[in-house]
Parts: sequence; structure tokens; C-alpha cells
Amino acid sequence: MSNRVAIVGAGISRFDNPRFELHEELCAEAVQEMLADNPNIEYPKDIDAVMYSYFSDHLAGQLCFHWIIHDYLGLLPKPAYRVESGGATPVDALINAFMYIKSGIFKNVLIVGWEKMSELNTPKVNEMIAAASDTDWDFPVGGYYTGYYAVLETRHMHLYGETEEDLAKIAVKNHNNATFNPYAQWRSQHGTTFITIDDVFKSRIISWPYRALNCAMISDGGACMLLASEETANKFTDSPVWITGIGLGTDTMRPGDRVDNPMYKGLYPEDEALYPDVSTKPASPYPEMANFGSMRTSGDMAYKMAGIDNPVKQLDFAELFNPYDGVELVEYEDLRFCKLGEGKKIVREGITEWGGELPCQLSGAHTAAGHPVGATSIAQATQIYWQLTEQTANKWKTNARALSGAQRAMLQGHGGTGCQSGVIIFERG
Amino acid sequence: MTYRPKKIVDALEYNRKWDEWARQGNWSPVGWRWVEGSKGHRLDQISSTNYLVIQRPHASVYHHSYGMISKFFKGLLEKKFYGTKCPKCGLTFCPPRAHCWNPGCRIQETEWVELPLRGEVFTFSPMAFSATPFLKTLPFIIAYIRVEGCCTTVPTRLIKINPWEVYPGLKVNIHFTDRTKGDIMDLYCTPAETPDPSKCMMTPEGIERLKNDMRKVRDWVVKKFGSEAKPSIDI
Ligand SMILES: [Zn+2]
Repeated sequence: MSNRVAIVGAGISRFDNPRFELHEELCAEAVQEMLADNPNIEYPKDIDAVMYSYFSDHLAGQLCFHWIIHDYLGLLPKPAYRVESGGATPVDALINAFMYIKSGIFKNVLIVGWEKMSELNTPKVNEMIAAASDTDWDFPVGGYYTGYYAVLETRHMHLYGETEEDLAKIAVKNHNNATFNPYAQWRSQHGTTFITIDDVFKSRIISWPYRALNCAMISDGGACMLLASEETANKFTDSPVWITGIGLGTDTMRPGDRVDNPMYKGLYPEDEALYPDVSTKPASPYPEMANFGSMRTSGDMAYKMAGIDNPVKQLDFAELFNPYDGVELVEYEDLRFCKLGEGKKIVREGITEWGGELPCQLSGAHTAAGHPVGATSIAQATQIYWQLTEQTANKWKTNARALSGAQRAMLQGHGGTGCQSGVIIFERG
Repeated sequence: MTYRPKKIVDALEYNRKWDEWARQGNWSPVGWRWVEGSKGHRLDQISSTNYLVIQRPHASVYHHSYGMISKFFKGLLEKKFYGTKCPKCGLTFCPPRAHCWNPGCRIQETEWVELPLRGEVFTFSPMAFSATPFLKTLPFIIAYIRVEGCCTTVPTRLIKINPWEVYPGLKVNIHFTDRTKGDIMDLYCTPAETPDPSKCMMTPEGIERLKNDMRKVRDWVVKKFGSEAKPSIDI
């Protein structure tokens, strides 16, 4: 692949709730870390353009927040662009920056993402995020994102038979990973003690089958990443991490519209054949309301570009978008870690645990590292970058979750109830 | 003036107290706190400092048109239940779409049809938390209902059933609330058959856990909202 694109620097501002610093100060903290780690970046001279990532104008009561961030970071009059696609915002910002560089117009593109969600109380945060669902249909009945994902997971449980215990196991894995992560909100608020399945069952019910410990945290935080063209990457680092595949996909805004979607009819015949007989087979049996077609489409596109046909064997680890634990289980299927309906086997066999064949969410991710929406996938990409360049032990001050010799990793992110998904494959140079 | 029409044909005029309500929250501080909070990057680098936090309300009244699917919501006001049907491919939509999304139909305009007040649960969840406007009615069940003959599902409240008795496939009847107001909450569902216990999705321990959870949520709502609390599940 000519004109490749590399990660050459990255930083995270600690996820917590609350962070009292201003939004721009959180962004500065992340950029500061990147510049301290990489003295070869001549700042701001080396930045050709900036891609800004934040989700909600409502949470901050401020539109065009990126204009505030942009001048605060001393980046005028450079080109800048804001991306917004719900939870997919940060992965989209990374993919857009990749395409800016691939276009040949810009050599080095900085991505800055953040969210402050602590300014409103929790029911109000739910309300503002629910404004990213169809406010004529799903919201007025008392819907909100935990509820939407709960009904989707209920459907998957009905068809494929995973249990509340399977979901709890995912929660335990991710929270325990986060106890080592010094950027994680769970560790800040709850310390470094491991949790158990019983702790998950004792946590507050939110929307069945989801309990508090199955759900994304409400967080403040920021993250940044510098992508560079093949031509300029060597100036910044001897150990670039290359982007070798990207993928995008979409599904309906209203989750209830997925039950028999004619646009997916016949796209995935091998999955259509696996539809179980517990329910009447619809005209479009996949993804139905149980699975995420957008993730399948985005994953397949990225795998093809990166030459991956067996992700469990060919990827060393992954950071997935896991706002609720059933989503991670279903992603195992949609991203082809296993066949449709076998996500529960991946959980029960420990394949995505630390020490498993394909560890997922070593950072702890949304439910444990935290989920300041516009920053989350950029921070996950940063953790991937640190793993692939073997900086994790130094950044975390422990090697408890530091991989050695990892070559290739995947980032998956999505927005809405899987309305839009993006995947990026990273490989060390 | 918002949304100035050619003519107002019929109306339930809103109480202008809401315009006053929207003016109340005018982005001006109503209070402040001088707080101590943490400062620093990673958790191994934390110190302490002070921050000023203000409280700043704002509010809005949206004048929202239901566009080409207004007939559905006007139908709710009149206790009539409509969907749309594509004259080309025959797909029937509820929620209605004014144009067909079927790839072969090239954005064909659909036609209105009256729908039966029957369907089945496609999926559901007992809710124990929610967004601000709905806290008073916790706990409640949201069920996505596939209305007979339709290719999409409608989110509704399901009542008169225990949450552990619900399963996908359960037949339901669709009803109108007594006082319809022009949104999807004008509809609700009740079971149309005795639930089959062999189709229960929860283990006996899971059911006990959920019962306790639902009681706790109900107690929390009653304590928080007093006489305004209207829990939809009572166990
Ligand atoms: Zn049609």
C-alpha cells in the first residue's frame, strides 16, 4: 500500500467524573502528554490540519466548541473540522483524518476529542443522549440508551441463549483490566480491588438485563492523536504504527425498524441460514434486531483492506465499543470472532480475557475506563498505540496488562444503537 | 412567531405558562459553589485545587410539525390507528413512512391504511431507570410491538403483566389512553393471551433478583416523588 498513514504520537487526559477543568484544558492536557512523549513534533508547525471530535452540544450548552479548543491550543489559522456521529464520533474523526492524509492534501493531521458529561445530573444526561435517538418514537415512551440496548440484548438472548451471567463475566473482565489503568475512572472512584460476578448482580438494576456495572460510565476526559503520511512519519518516530485497514457501515436510526429490513436482505446468506427456530424467520434474518449489521459491514471492509480472514488468529488484541456488555458479546459475532450465536462461547472459553487468544478491552473501555463520548475511541486507539510500541508498562507503571511483541490490533467504534460503525486495523512498523 | 401557518384548522392551544417557563431559564447563574477538586494528569500525579462552579438553567418550547406522517398522530388524537403501505412492493410500515425504503421502490410515496389493534412483542425490557421526564413512572416495561402485517416495530408501554412473564412472541392488544395528546404515549399494550411459563426468559434466581430490584425502584420513586409517583409495575 503506497501513501500509508501512521500514528506518530498520542495522549490521554485522565477520565473521571467530575473533572473540573474546562474542556479546552482537558484537551491541552492530552496534547501536552503527546508533545512531552515525542519531542520530534515541532508544535504547532508540524500540524497541517485538525479533526475535532465531540458528541453533544447539549451536554455543554455550547455549539462550535472546537473553535474554542482550536485557538486555545494555538493552532490558528490552520484548517479545522468538527466530526459528529454520536458514539462513532471519535472513530469517525480518526477515519476522516486518515482520509485527509490519503487525499494527499495534508501530511500531518491532529485529532483532538473530548466530552464533559458531569455538568448535568444522570437522568438529564440520559435525556440529552436520548436526543440522539428518534425523539418522535423511541424517546417519548420512556426510552433512553440503556433501555434501547437492553431491548436489543433481550432479543439476542431470546434467539441465541446467552445468560445474565455471561454478561456479568464481561463486566468482571473489563473492570478488572481497568484497575491497572491510571487513566481509568473506575480506578479513580473505586480503587484497585478486583470485582466478582456477585458484585455485578448486586449492582443497581438499570434496564433488565443490564445493571450498573454492565453500563458505560458518565465521564469527563479528552484524548488526542497525531497521524502522519508515510513521507513525514520517519521525522517523528522510529516506531510508527500503521493504519492498514478502515471500514464504515450503517443501520437504522430506530432499532425497532431492524426486524425485517429489506436493505439487508440476502447480504449475509451464511448468517441467514443460522437463524434459530425459536422465532418465525423474517424476510431479512440478519442482522434482525439481535445483531449489528453496521459492525459486520464495517468489519468486513477493514478486514479486506488489511488482508484479514481469521481475526482471532490474525489480530493480537482489540479495543471494541462496549457501552453495554451484551454489545461486546454480539460484536464477537458481527466482527466474525465466531459464528452467529456463538458469542457466549467466546465469553465462556475466556478467549477475550487477559491471557486469552484475543484479549479485548485491556484498557477497561466504556464501562470501566470511562466514556467521555468524543474522546473514548481516540483514547482506546492511544492505548493500542502504546501496546503496539511497547510503552504500556511505562505509561501504566505496571506490566500487568502490557503485551509484548503484539503486531496487529483492531479498534471498533459505533454510534446510536449501532446506527453507524467504524473499524480501524493498526499494525506496528 | 413560530411556524406561522396559512390557517389554524383545529387546535388544542397550549398554556402560555410554557413560554414563561422557557424564559425563566435564561442562561444566567442562579447559584455558585467554590469547590475543592483534584488536579493532575494520571492517577499517580494528582494534587488538589479549587474551582468555581455556577448553576445555569435554560429551557425551550419546540413547535414541532409531524410533517407528512401527521395523519398518524392526528389519528392517535381521534383514537384511530394508521400505518402506511407501499403501492409498489406492498410493505406496510408502523411507524409509518411517507416514502418506501425498499431498494426497488425508488422512494415511492406510500398510502395510508388502517391497522388492527393487535400485534406481538418482538422484544422488551423492564426499565428501572430512565431520563428525567419518565422517572415518576418507574418501574415500567417497554416492549417493541410488531403490529399485525407490519415490517417494523413500534415502541410502547406494556402493562398488566409481571416483567418476568414477558417474552418475544407474546400476543398483545393495543389500546388508546383515555386522554390522547398527540404522541406515541397515546398507545399502550396489554397481553392478549395468558403468558406461557415455559417461555420465561429468566431463571428462578433471576426472577427473585428482579422482584427485589423492582420493589427497590418502586420504593425509591415513591420516596422521591410522593403522591406524584405513578409506578407502572407493582410487585
Ligand atoms: Zn416499496
